[in-house]
Amino acid sequence: MLDLCLLAVMNEGPAYGYEMTKRLRERGLAIVGEGSIYPLLGRLERDGLVETYRAPSNGGPERKYYRPSDAGRLALAMGVSEWRAARDAVDAVLASVKVEVLHD
Amino acid sequence: MTDFIDECRREWRRLGVPDTLAEEMAADLASDLAEAEGDGVSTEELLGSDPRSFAASLAAERGVIPVSPSPRRARRRPAVLVAFTALAALVLAFAARALLTGQPRATLVTHLSGKPGHHLPAASPFPFAPSGSVQRVFDLGNLSAPIEWILLVFAIVALGFAAWLWVTWSRSRPPGVPAA
Repeated sequence: MLDLCLLAVMNEGPAYGYEMTKRLRERGLAIVGEGSIYPLLGRLERDGLVETYRAPSNGGPERKYYRPSDAGRLALAMGVSEWRAARDAVDAVLASVKVEVLHD
Repeated sequence: MTDFIDECRREWRRLGVPDTLAEEMAADLASDLAEAEGDGVSTEELLGSDPRSFAASLAAERGVIPVSPSPRRARRRPAVLVAFTALAALVLAFAARALLTGQPRATLVTHLSGKPGHHLPAASPFPFAPSGSVQRVFDLGNLSAPIEWILLVFAIVALGFAAWLWVTWSRSRPPGVPAA
């Protein structure tokens, strides 16, 4: 699922590794970090789902930027569709749940 | 920060990652870490606390090195190696003992069947065998020695192969998996 989130944030605009971490954290995905995204970015690159290029970042050092390839955008579209279907199905099950919690 | 990246470099070198690629990955990480530090994010928060695992995972996912076996599988492999080595040693001991003492000697036994009433010709190559019986068994015990020699050679080759497997496994052992 994190790979889908990475494709989503880089689809908003090319980003380097730490920039993607910040974008995800800004949206409340606090689990990102502890080295989790870098191997995933490597896998996406190996699978041809992202394209990379190097460019200076705001006058800083040269960074490696990632953006979805055509295959990556297709994977993103399919992944989002599957996620929404799964989320709706789970919502349908949980919607009718009524829980009473008894306190002593 | 520098320690983490230096540790990554050492791990990539150990894993055989090309220097240019290792330097490229190290430079990317250094830039990200420097920016993260400016934001108050620690190295551990961004990259974790185990540089060797992180470096191996990154190299494997990028396809630079083969994906490491899972720690569970990596721990299982020595058991197979131990069993193989023990079997080879057992065969070696058996063959050596048989050759040195002559006991137990494996025998090569040939069973020949003939029709009732059939007699071996007078010029039979086995003159010590009784003729005219339905079934004759010839004990060719002297031919057993080559079998023991074959076992001995086989065991030595197998032990050499086992030694090579041990060396290979110890070199490719993922971080955190203790040597057996």
